[in-house]
Amino acid sequence: MSGTGGLPPRPEGAHGRSLSYLPADRSFALLTDYDTRRTVRATFGELSEQHLRAARNWQPSASAPWTLDMGEEVEGYGTFRFPYGPFSMGVPEAGTFELVTYGERLLEVLPGFGQKPRGILASLPGLRVEEAALRVERMVGPYSTAHVAAFLFAAEAAAGTSLSAEEAQVRALGQELQRVYNHLHVLARLAEAASQNVGQAQTHALAEEVLRLAGRHFGHRWLFGSLLPGGPRRRLDRVQRTELDRSLAQLGSRFEALWELFQGSRTFVDRLQGTGRVGRSQAISWGAVGPVLRACGVPWDDRLRDPLPPYHDLFLPLAHQSEGDALARTVVRVEEVRSSLLLLEQLLDRWPNGGTFDPLLPVSPRRGLARTEAPSGDLVWDVLLTEDGRVRQAAFRSASQANWPLFALACRQSVFTDFHFTLESFGLSFAETDG
Amino acid sequence: MPSWIGQAIKRGILTSRFPRGPGSEDELPETSRPPVLSPTSDPLPTLTRATGDCPTGAIDPDGLHHGKCVRCARCTRKGFVFAGPAHPCADSREGLYAPGGGPLPEHRNASPLAPLGRSLQLFLVDAGSCLACNLEVLALANPYYDSSRLGITFVNSPHHADVLVVVGIPTDPLLGPLRRAYEALPGPKAVLAVGACALEGGIFRGNPGTRAPLSDTVPVDLFVPGCPPTPLDILQGVLTLAGRANRLPEVHP
Amino acid sequence: MMDGAAWLLEAALATLFAAVPASVLGRRISYAVSFVGSALLLAAAVVVLVSGPFTALQYTGPFGETQTLGLDALSAFFALAAAVVWMGASAFSISYDERPGGGLARAFALTLGSIAVLFAAGNFLLFLAAWEGMTLASFWMIVEASGRKGPVFSAGFVFLAFGEGSTLLVALSVAGFHAATGMFAMVDVLALPVSTGIFLCALVGFGLKMGVAPFHMSEWLPIAHSSAPSNASSVLSATLTLAGVYGLFRVISLLPVGPVWWGAVVLAIGAISALLGALFASVSEHVKGLPAYSTIENNGLVLVALGVALVARSQGLETLYAFALFAAFFQALAHAVAKGALFLFTGHVEHVTGTFDLNEVRGRVLRGSPGASLGGLISALSFAAAPPLAGFVGEWMILEALFQSYRFVGPAAEFLGLLAGAAVALSLGLAQVAMVKLVGFSLLWNPLRASSPRPTPGLGAPLAALSGVVIALGVGAPWVLTFIAPAVQNLSHQALSAPVGQLLDLPTGWSILSGSPFGILSPPAVPIGIALGSLVGLGYFLLGGGRAARRVPVWVSGRAPSPVEGTYTAFGFSTGIRIMLGSLLGTREVQRRSGGITAVAIASPEVYNVELEVLDVFKLFYDDLVLGGLAFSRALKAFLMPGRPGRYLAYVLITVLVVLVYLTAAG
Repeated sequence: MSGTGGLPPRPEGAHGRSLSYLPADRSFALLTDYDTRRTVRATFGELSEQHLRAARNWQPSASAPWTLDMGEEVEGYGTFRFPYGPFSMGVPEAGTFELVTYGERLLEVLPGFGQKPRGILASLPGLRVEEAALRVERMVGPYSTAHVAAFLFAAEAAAGTSLSAEEAQVRALGQELQRVYNHLHVLARLAEAASQNVGQAQTHALAEEVLRLAGRHFGHRWLFGSLLPGGPRRRLDRVQRTELDRSLAQLGSRFEALWELFQGSRTFVDRLQGTGRVGRSQAISWGAVGPVLRACGVPWDDRLRDPLPPYHDLFLPLAHQSEGDALARTVVRVEEVRSSLLLLEQLLDRWPNGGTFDPLLPVSPRRGLARTEAPSGDLVWDVLLTEDGRVRQAAFRSASQANWPLFALACRQSVFTDFHFTLESFGLSFAETDG
Repeated sequence: MPSWIGQAIKRGILTSRFPRGPGSEDELPETSRPPVLSPTSDPLPTLTRATGDCPTGAIDPDGLHHGKCVRCARCTRKGFVFAGPAHPCADSREGLYAPGGGPLPEHRNASPLAPLGRSLQLFLVDAGSCLACNLEVLALANPYYDSSRLGITFVNSPHHADVLVVVGIPTDPLLGPLRRAYEALPGPKAVLAVGACALEGGIFRGNPGTRAPLSDTVPVDLFVPGCPPTPLDILQGVLTLAGRANRLPEVHP
Repeated sequence: MMDGAAWLLEAALATLFAAVPASVLGRRISYAVSFVGSALLLAAAVVVLVSGPFTALQYTGPFGETQTLGLDALSAFFALAAAVVWMGASAFSISYDERPGGGLARAFALTLGSIAVLFAAGNFLLFLAAWEGMTLASFWMIVEASGRKGPVFSAGFVFLAFGEGSTLLVALSVAGFHAATGMFAMVDVLALPVSTGIFLCALVGFGLKMGVAPFHMSEWLPIAHSSAPSNASSVLSATLTLAGVYGLFRVISLLPVGPVWWGAVVLAIGAISALLGALFASVSEHVKGLPAYSTIENNGLVLVALGVALVARSQGLETLYAFALFAAFFQALAHAVAKGALFLFTGHVEHVTGTFDLNEVRGRVLRGSPGASLGGLISALSFAAAPPLAGFVGEWMILEALFQSYRFVGPAAEFLGLLAGAAVALSLGLAQVAMVKLVGFSLLWNPLRASSPRPTPGLGAPLAALSGVVIALGVGAPWVLTFIAPAVQNLSHQALSAPVGQLLDLPTGWSILSGSPFGILSPPAVPIGIALGSLVGLGYFLLGGGRAARRVPVWVSGRAPSPVEGTYTAFGFSTGIRIMLGSLLGTREVQRRSGGITAVAIASPEVYNVELEVLDVFKLFYDDLVLGGLAFSRALKAFLMPGRPGRYLAYVLITVLVVLVYLTAAG
């Protein structure tokens, strides 16, 4: 379906640094940021020099974890650094933030990664694809389907194995279910930050229902193992699909009623409006992806631009806004919930009756690359196999990794109380960042 | 005119009846039950055949270690079924070992926080998790489980907490913060290790930069296995710490 | 006894002035002589308050009038307050002043002597002379260390300019007195129309010296933005303003009962000063600027109490009048002693850390002298109105008086009392913020880097003694009020008794009554209550309760706590106020980019420096005024004297014509 047709050469950025998310001494992989920029450029015309000049890059080294270079640090009379994390209940994961402030105002937010590197990529070489997939899906629990789908598509591209239509359907089904859960979860956390207690409780309840549906029909609430051969028992025959369809329709109408109430809550909308605003050119030049990018007026969704089977056959209304603030990101997520429910309805209605899909084209012999739209955004997996079908090397670039610079930018010149709204509306995950 | 109150009333009561009654089918999906040998299979050959299959080494020829099980369901191809007693927990790593692949022995142990009364304050700490266990622990606050009706609440500072709930496989950078968090809890206190990663390292056991099990870093009072354990499993663990665990009727498959 | 008191006064004045030539022997000796002189003055004042007024010296002055030097109860009260401060300041200066040469000591002695003569003056001419002498001596004290140029000199020049304006207005009111009574002696004025003019001139003239709004430039600018030595700042802020209060009180004591608007004006000015002073104190980052603004606030409070008293007197509310007067006196006393101590503390801060920026000081002061730290703490707490200190009692009395403003007759007066009360309450809250900031960031913080403190002998004892006085004044407030009753009676020309009474089972005379009664406070009961309550804690510890405690490091989200990160700066402490009251303070954020300064609100990656600034609209106003005045005089000069001989010839011609016409018309 899609592929990149050959290993692209290492491009140079405007500052003479190579645009790479992997250590320079690895002779492996690339793509990701460059690829995004290349495809964006192909779609929207040449990016101006100004955009390229403003771009910063990641330079992970072998010893230090990911670092973020935002340029000169902001300073001034009376400013001080306020540490937040790694164990703070406001952020559900272990990651640190340095807030540079003179009190009340946030002059700069510096995320600190590398608190929980679990060495997953280092543990993959030598495993069979199935065993590696078990680890890949536990990279980030809520995005497990996206990671394992991208990984499996990449591995199948590398091995040249074809995929049954039903498996492809199940992969899409799982991804869309988790997308609904994740967006509901983000909305619930935003409601919590805005002290909308009833709204928060009701939205968490809706998210819990999605997990229960997943548990009922896939055997595991987070679909661990469900997209792999020989996983937990699935309940997806005709009767059960109808049941799932009906439950999702009910969930959809409840969600619509809930969103009505949220829109009518002046407090809620006020807290989100104007918070963490980023501009369109900033989003493009800093390499943002996912709902964040779509909220800035760039209509980019992997399921439309780079569709993996079976998305190419499905109707997907694209969700995008132009304001670039937290409210826009929330509206994009709400619209994506609606379009995911629509996709789920289509997936459940048109269940395939046999058939296979050809694998993606490999990038080079035994090397496959696949990208999918995870709930947080564009996710790329790059897999290199040995002759006997085991993993030799694998790498990924997640949406969270791509969006951190824009998040740090969005937090500038805001106030303490806006921090959580910006953080939750970006929907970033440290687990995806550290790996 | 739509209103929040009208919406809430229309939704009705969602809260689980647990622990007054067993968890419902919706609350206990298939993989939430621990794996046991199916009644029709022969123990020794099954265990021996399944030993190579288990990705975390939970199965050996003598039995099954529930703390290492990540519920990947590969052993179900070799004669296991997810039919063990629901909500397993134990106060030692050895207590999670089921010899012969049968059900886990009953857990009857002293509850370290029983003197505190019926209410417990929890402080959640992420030592290196994939976020699934975090969200399952935090799900205790949503209307379906509503742990606050049982006096179980989350606090924002370890100085106010009774229980340190740890999820995830401990990574090197977080060992110091974990110890500091443990020190910061005032006594009497307990540590609850939730999820296969915290117990034995889960599927990431042996990865570079990780230091499983958690009990090497801080003393753990109760282990709750699962990948991730469901909110009811975690609730059972918390109630056990508080000395309020009862024997529950079985959920009929 | 009279002779003894007279002798004490003469000896006091002589000794204070003798400190000037004594500086030849060394500055330390000069300060010691000042100390002795202040002690003598204190003794004289105490004798007067106990036994009655006297005249020490009488002679014929240069204009044929009778000059008298003596103390009556009113001036004795102020002399007492000033003497206490001077004793502490002189003792402090012995160790503090390390500059070679005795210039500062001489100026110090001259200032003290002038103020003492001011208190002892029985005749307005001598008063005026002492007033001017005080201004000049203070100017000398401020600029002693600087050269002829620089910010210190220009700040001192501003002080001198405002001081001369004050002298001018005081001279005008003296002229009014002479017009009304025909002599320069301090006798009562009976005619009302002149009284209004006298009152206004005196209010503005003495208000300039007190540093109330809108003339507060003369107070904080030379103290804060110059490096006037701290012993000078102590004398300036505490006793110079006290002299202003004395002048105002003396004038009021000689005027008849005025209309209500007199008191209303005083009340309004006082409330505004209190609010502005406290507001700017709470956002100040300067170790000396903060107390300087607090002086403005406190003098505003004195004026508020005086205003309530005047309104009450004009409307015939005798009890309220008496109570408010006592409040004004007590507040002046409490402020003088505590502010004197607080500025000496800033001298200690300078001695230990070498900086005046609160963000730099960061807790290093605690490693200096413990006595000095205690003195700073107690005096700051007094301004934050912590019981049972003197400032607490004074501010309680003022608030009680304001609460009773409901007794005022007429909606306008009541409304004014309401607004003033709100402003005073707000200012007290802001003052608390300011004092907590000062004490917290100088004493109670983690130092950024270890500093080896310089040995500071002799700085601790005077401060500790002054803080003891502050505590004693607060705890013994009922007896202090009884003691100063003669001074209050002197002002009011009535037999007023101190507002002390009885509360519950406490002995009579242990409680202060406001109103009839309206509210009651028993300051001595506070430490008794604290002691009784502490017994519980003490018992717990003695019974071994403390052993079960386990110490852990502070929780910083799991990180290792470090003194560098995670702690607020002093600036960050008041940023909330800067932002919330931004319209009042003129707060704006200035962002510097790589290309110049702009003031925009849009985030940009090129911003590298962000600062939050507040405006002082009064300074802007005065700057504009000064620039306008200079421009006007230049324009006038250019107009009158263009340098063209033709114009000068025309002037001569016009003058001749005018003289001719005049002579013709007259003759």
